[in-house]
Amino acid sequence: MLTRKSKSPLHAALGGSVLALAVAGMLNAPHAFARTINVTETGSTLLYPLFNLWVPAYTRSHPGVRITTQGTGSGTGISEAVSGVAQIGASDAYMSNMQVKQNPGILNIPLAISAQTINYNVPGLNGIHLKLSGPVIAGIYDGQIRYWNAPAIARLNPGRRLPHHLITPIHRTDGSGDTFIFSQYLSFSTPYWNSHVGYGTTISWPAVPGGLGALGNPGMVQAAAQTPYSIAYIGVSFTKEVARAHLGTAVIRNRAGRFLLPTRMTVGAAAAELVNKTPKDERISLVFAPGAESYPIINYEYAIVNDHQASRAMAMTLREFLSWAVDTREGNAQRFLRQVHFIALPPRISALSRTQIAKIH
Amino acid sequence: MTIRPFRILLVFVTSLIPLALLAVFVFLARYSWPALTFNGWHFLVGRTWSLGNLYADPVTQRGVLVPIGADYGILVFIAGTLLTSAIALVIAIPVSLGVAIFLAEGLRSRLKVPLSFVVEMLAAVPSVVYGLWGYAVLTPLVAHTLGPGLRAVLGFVPFFAGPIGSGYGLLAASIVLALMVVPIIAATVRDALARVPAETKEAAYALGATHFEVVRRAMLPTVRTNIIGAGILGLGRALGETMAVLMVSGGALNYFPSNIYSPITTMASFIVSQLDSAMQDPTGMAVRSLAEIALILFIISVVTNIIARLLTGASRNASAV
Repeated sequence: MLTRKSKSPLHAALGGSVLALAVAGMLNAPHAFARTINVTETGSTLLYPLFNLWVPAYTRSHPGVRITTQGTGSGTGISEAVSGVAQIGASDAYMSNMQVKQNPGILNIPLAISAQTINYNVPGLNGIHLKLSGPVIAGIYDGQIRYWNAPAIARLNPGRRLPHHLITPIHRTDGSGDTFIFSQYLSFSTPYWNSHVGYGTTISWPAVPGGLGALGNPGMVQAAAQTPYSIAYIGVSFTKEVARAHLGTAVIRNRAGRFLLPTRMTVGAAAAELVNKTPKDERISLVFAPGAESYPIINYEYAIVNDHQASRAMAMTLREFLSWAVDTREGNAQRFLRQVHFIALPPRISALSRTQIAKIH
Repeated sequence: MTIRPFRILLVFVTSLIPLALLAVFVFLARYSWPALTFNGWHFLVGRTWSLGNLYADPVTQRGVLVPIGADYGILVFIAGTLLTSAIALVIAIPVSLGVAIFLAEGLRSRLKVPLSFVVEMLAAVPSVVYGLWGYAVLTPLVAHTLGPGLRAVLGFVPFFAGPIGSGYGLLAASIVLALMVVPIIAATVRDALARVPAETKEAAYALGATHFEVVRRAMLPTVRTNIIGAGILGLGRALGETMAVLMVSGGALNYFPSNIYSPITTMASFIVSQLDSAMQDPTGMAVRSLAEIALILFIISVVTNIIARLLTGASRNASAV
């Protein structure tokens, strides 16, 4: 009784203020509507958590802009930016040469640098970091390595008690930039994979009995958590979810033969190796970079944007927002990137991105 | 005099529906024509689906420009579609018959109407709701309870033995489909049972039959074709179901299920999951091959629906006589 009494004035006050806000909103509406620009962002589920941090912060200081975000997969991001359904297509993969030839007006603008972890659910071993290499992971995904205690895995992890259980490899069923960089890592490190499977946002997965498909990074986490003895590749912005699901994270072998985890240092080292090789259109793979401290699976996170927008106002809005996003004091600041485990663009790359952003008209 | 323009209007409106059906068919056939000629019969018997290397320059193969390594075979998806639908019907038909008999004969009239209404309402639940339930509740249940239970009971049959895996797969997809199909079959059969002439039942009672015998010997044989027709209607729904299956099927690619717990992919859900990737194919062959899957699915569902229509129509004529 007491609590109920003490609550009700609070409720009344809340109700009153909500009502007042609603009325104020209604009065404001016609004025605000005339000026609001609606930007649609869709694509990569890896970039999605970052956009969800960016958008509230940005729209607070830019009340005339409304940005809707959707995590639909990089494939959708590219195709909807090309078709014009979305203004910003988020993608972990850059467009192919042929796609660029067909759509010369589409820009591939890096917004940040991301990485990917190889995660597993091996009961009893999730607390430690198993060592895995490109050829071993390729063997698991093409069915040549079927058991967790296979000699190839045991050789990398001497002294570990590995279980004799079938491995369930999990892959993405939707078109995905995560699949793109994962299959690049396998292609660049394993000649057999390169000649038989190759890389892409979707690939023809070799037939592994029991091999699972999952939708989006959230689906990967859920499927791995639910499937003992599975292995999955998951974007680093889902590190929190991976930890909550108690999955293990592998240390993986880079080009120099060292086993690393993705940290600001190892991801930064890999990016630094390729900064000067990045061309003007910024379409380059950062996967399997040289260097002793380079984490092997990293990539630019792209905004796929048409350089010709329907209206000047839209073009200006996009230029302002994207410039804000790549600015190290704003969107590329640690307070945003730290939360999703991305790292900021090196100065030369953000300059290249700004040059591309300036082309939007 | 005014009857004539009205008649013309009616003819026009009525012909719109078959014309729309025809238009869909013509569109699918025309759109997928390059894929039809490129893939040939290999499309139906091939086990590998590969979009090829989309990041390399396309090459000319059999006279058309396609990505290197492109290979479109859908036998695995045809198998997945037919298997899920068949298992769904095996689960759904006995359950539906039980529901229908209970609603038609086993209930007092006061509860009959609201309960029949509830069953019909189940048919109106959007399929994605079933899919979400399957994703969150059913797949763990299959992995930890249903799967091991089924294996313990029926494990001597190879199809029910072997690894259970994650719960995503054939069994989960079939159960979700069965749930979606039960209300359709149950409602149709219940209506048919309600239409069984009172004379038939009374004649059976007069011969000394019990209530159960009346249902079993007099009513069910009368509605036999309705049951088959309803089953095929349900089959049509199961064949074309997309989202719910996609969410629980496990998205298997390039291999056949080894047991009832294996991941699978159906034709309809494959079209959805692959469309975005296919759009990345600059030669367009991938999207056209997806359209070819749609064409085949379309033909299968039209044929099943025609069979259902013929069977239910035949029984209606029979009871009219």
